Amino acid sequence: MSEATKIPSSAELVIPNAKSKSQREVVSEQFSKHQLAVFGGIILLAMYIGALFAPFISPYGLSEYSTSDITKFHPPTHVYFVNPDSNLPSLPFVYKTKRDVNMDTFVTEFKEDRSQGKFFIKLFVSRPEQPYTLFGLIPMNVRLFGVDEPARIFLLGADSYGRDVFTRIWYGAQISLTIGIFAVILTTILGFIFGGLAGYYGGWVDNIIMRTVEILGAIPTLILLITLTSVLPQSLDPILVFYAIIAFLGVIGWGGDARRIRSQILALREVDFVQAATALGAKESRIIGVHMLPVTFSLTIVGLSLSIPGFILTEAVLSFIGFGIREPYSSWGLMLNNAQEGGFASINSRPWVLIPGFFIVLAVLCWNFLGDGLRDALDPRKRQ
Amino acid sequence: MLQFILRRLLNLVPVFLGATFMVFVILQVAPGNFLDARRLDPRTTPATIARLEQQFGLDQPVPVQYAKWVLNFLQGNLGTSFDSNVPVAELVGPKIANSAILTFGNIILVYLIGIPIGIYGAVRQYSLGDKVLSISSYLFLGFPNFFLGLLVIFGLLQIQYALGRPLFPVNGMTSNNFDSLNPVQQFLDIAWHAFIPLMVTVVGDVAGFTRGLRAQMLEYLNQDYVRTARAKGLSERTVIYRHTLRNAITPFIAGIGSLLPAVLAGAGTIELLFNWPGLFPVFLEALTSQDIYVSLSIGAISLVLLVIGNLIADFLLAVVDPRIRYF
Repeated sequence: MSEATKIPSSAELVIPNAKSKSQREVVSEQFSKHQLAVFGGIILLAMYIGALFAPFISPYGLSEYSTSDITKFHPPTHVYFVNPDSNLPSLPFVYKTKRDVNMDTFVTEFKEDRSQGKFFIKLFVSRPEQPYTLFGLIPMNVRLFGVDEPARIFLLGADSYGRDVFTRIWYGAQISLTIGIFAVILTTILGFIFGGLAGYYGGWVDNIIMRTVEILGAIPTLILLITLTSVLPQSLDPILVFYAIIAFLGVIGWGGDARRIRSQILALREVDFVQAATALGAKESRIIGVHMLPVTFSLTIVGLSLSIPGFILTEAVLSFIGFGIREPYSSWGLMLNNAQEGGFASINSRPWVLIPGFFIVLAVLCWNFLGDGLRDALDPRKRQ
Repeated sequence: MLQFILRRLLNLVPVFLGATFMVFVILQVAPGNFLDARRLDPRTTPATIARLEQQFGLDQPVPVQYAKWVLNFLQGNLGTSFDSNVPVAELVGPKIANSAILTFGNIILVYLIGIPIGIYGAVRQYSLGDKVLSISSYLFLGFPNFFLGLLVIFGLLQIQYALGRPLFPVNGMTSNNFDSLNPVQQFLDIAWHAFIPLMVTVVGDVAGFTRGLRAQMLEYLNQDYVRTARAKGLSERTVIYRHTLRNAITPFIAGIGSLLPAVLAGAGTIELLFNWPGLFPVFLEALTSQDIYVSLSIGAISLVLLVIGNLIADFLLAVVDPRIRYF
């Protein structure tokens, strides 16, 4: 009897499955609902892993080409899965190709030389003549796949030197994909420092910082960037050029972040919990670091992921017009710059040199998807 | 209004000085100067070098050179090109006009095409048409416009080989017989040459524009005053165009200001690709040959464009938004 009239405890009243969710759970749940964002994230993950393992998955070295067996603008190698003699399925193989000038059209052609037999594609090929260090640490010479000399495998054709486009795309990914991330980290750090100072201290500090932002914003980014990179001497080590471009992108690009952080800090200064902390006698560094900056994080993450594709595009433009990454390094924009060699009419006979452009498109697209997904997941007003 | 314009221009003075000084210093940081190439040329005598150095003031300290340049710029004298030995204004002037064809053409087309598409996307949210437009605008946002240009050139060349004649010109701004044409034909000739480069820049910009406008429209379409307007029995047309669009479009009008110089830079790669005789190729050439007065002037011109653009934007904002009054 007493049991029937027992008042349910608060624990029993709670609807099953409705256990309160942490912020992280809400965000990740919202994010996984955004299918395009998940898709973008997966593709990007694959591309970054590809870039990390670039020397391993590419059959040749970064600037490897033969001076005796010229493969300039070699078309993509035909990989046979079916034996042409017997029409039976076979392990994938290629034929050695021979460079020949067509005497009617005077166009260089590559013809298969079947007399040298089949060259089967091998996995985990050891190539001591082209050693590399994986992650810059582990010395290795094993490549994921390859064919025996003298045959060659150009999955996506060869460029104007006869270098493998597939190889250079993955080496290029190391630069094209990371430049955006490094630049965005730099702009965010600078944006936090200067935006934070301007917002918190106000007065002349604010004035100087915001005037600087105005001056930097007055000249179109690309014009300023080209001006800066034009100053780099031609003799400079290409790896330093890469670092310099990241630095330039950062130095030019922090204005937007600083503005956003500043206005957030200005708004936050008036919020009750900050006033409470001030009233309790908290130190300035504690108020800024513990109470204010964390609030700006979610917007910052969104800003980060949405500005990376912009930096990827900027690097592509810069390298394309010849003011960016330099040989022998590879970047997708630089590869498109090389593609123009010999005039546009010749692109017609070798369309594969345009392939790196699709990697730019894919990377930018996926970052956009990911950024939109993160924004929707972190913004409470957009939750479904 | 006049007072507002004056105040605006006055605010600009420090920005102009700061930005041009920054560019000037950057250009000076480059190792060597324009005369270095000439020094290596055995045909140039040391006396000539000294004369040129004095003529262009290259022997003076950087701040003095800069002050000289600013004073000259304010008097409308942009300096002389080292490379071609003609006044910069003469060299750059016609190029500005050529670039303006692409810049203004781009802005007008983006608004003409982008506004209807953006409205359609918001009004018919999640319809088949909206989905197709959303996906394609997502896609085009990923294309750097030089790559789109390369693909278009590739496609046009394929068509050209198939047809045996070019469908559209992809090289230059005028035909070979341009001088023998009458003004109407000349105009049509330039328009015909501008068509493909314009389309390439417009597609990407429209993609960004419509995505933004659609989001803005959706935000306003859900507001109470729109419901009130509908409840009053106003026609859907009035509700959308007068009550929603006028609010939704304000950020895009405010953005016109930075659009002018940005398009100037953005159309740059397209000018290179299509061999358009615009400002950008001249700029790159000047940077490479350290022809500093040319590159500096082009940087300064983009600043002036920003100011003009911002003034136009302010004026248009006042027209669209009754809350904004400058007088």
